Parts: sequence; C-alpha cells; structure tokens
Amino acid sequence: MQDSTPFSFTLVITGAPYSSQAPQSALSFAAAAIRAGHRVDRVFLYGDGVQLASALASPPSDEPHWPREWSSFLEKHGIPGVACIASALRRGLVDEGEQKRYELTASNLLAPFTIAGLGEWVEGRMSSSRTVYFHGSD
Amino acid sequence: MSTLIVIDQPPYGSWAGREALDMAFSLAAFDQPVSLLFCGAGVNWLRKGQEPGTIRQKSVEKNLAAAPIFGVEALLADGDDCNRYGLEAEQLLDGVTVVQADSQLFTNYSHTAFAG
Repeated sequence: MQDSTPFSFTLVITGAPYSSQAPQSALSFAAAAIRAGHRVDRVFLYGDGVQLASALASPPSDEPHWPREWSSFLEKHGIPGVACIASALRRGLVDEGEQKRYELTASNLLAPFTIAGLGEWVEGRMSSSRTVYFHGSD
Repeated sequence: MSTLIVIDQPPYGSWAGREALDMAFSLAAFDQPVSLLFCGAGVNWLRKGQEPGTIRQKSVEKNLAAAPIFGVEALLADGDDCNRYGLEAEQLLDGVTVVQADSQLFTNYSHTAFAG
C-alpha cells in the first residue's frame, strides 16, 4: 500500500479484444491499481471497445476469454462496466431493452455490463481523480 | 477543467474521428468546456467543399458547423499539418483557428482525449 492519497480511476477502452491489446492492458492496469490501494470507479467502453461486452465471443479454448475475464473482474470488485449506446448499436451489441426497441432477433450484452450514453463518461471524468484511455492500434 | 479532444485521423477512413466528435459534443452538452484540435491527417476534416455522397457517408462539415451551436469553444488546426496537406487558410471552414500544436498548447487544458 502506498503512502500517498489513493486515486480513483475511470477507465475508457476504445480498442476491441482480439484486434487490439487495449482490453488486456486495461485489465492489467485495473488489477494493479486495486492491488496498490487505488479505486476503479467505472469502466467505459467506447467505439470498437464495446465488443468487449459481447456475450457471444467464443475464442479458442487455449486463448484468454477477455470478455469473461473482464466480466468476472467487474463482478468481483463491484465495478460498473458501461458500453456506449451509440457505439454499441452501430456494432450489433444490444441488451434486451434495445432488442425490443429495434425489434431485433437477439440480445448479446454480457453481464454485468450495461448500455448507457456518453454522459456516463462525462460523469466519470468529473468524479474520478484520473481518467485513463486504452486505445486500439490506430 | 477544460478538455482538448484531438482528432488525428482523416474524416472518412474510420469512425474514430466521428466518435471523438461525439465525445466533444457530449461534454459541451453537459456544460464542460471543450475544444477540438485537428492535426496530422485530421486537418482534412476542416477542408471546405467535402462531397462524400459517392461513398455513402455524411459530410463532416455539417457536424463541425454545429460545433459552436453545441458549445464547443474552439476548432483548432495545426498549421504545419495544414501545410503538409496543402490546406490554405481560405480553404478552411469558417471559425477555425490555426495554431502550433506543441506541448505549450496542451498546458492550456486539464484533460486531453484522442480519437480511438
């Protein structure tokens, strides 16, 4: 544990799993931050990062399952994980509410992730002491 | 707490810039001070007379024209990158300020976010 005042973090992930290392780097960062006595207030998925919240990702069994690893981490530490609604709808990531609204054949949002607007990001960066971004390769 | 959103990608090759613009508009909607900096290939966002209809995309000029209405404080363009892409002052959209995007500029902002 460090002597200094703990930070609170909002993490923003904009890179998708399996096409970028962003979700993996963010998970390592979050785990290290908590180990060091800091707090993670929330994780916001934006752009291609929303793919991390897909319940349908099925990587080969000898590869890390980043959506499930993130999901377990969020549940274990009681951290809200939020996918941006505009990014999510464009990319085919929907919860049951959006499935009904758009009359889609399925929903695929992995718990405990929820779908909400950019206001969650605005609120996060106002209330957390630090906001850290994890981008894809572009 | 003022935020600088940096768009360094061209307007039509990916959605990253559009999503960065949405972030800026969202901050402005919540009355958070925000400015946009276009640099690298991103300066092409600011070119007058864009006609992306043939690639079935909406012109980003309309989005940018709405920026002051939404409360975005400034549209900044890096001067060196404008030169690199052959953008003369009269070819830039109205309301753009040409700046030098160096470390000094970034000290004016408490937060910086890049297009994904």
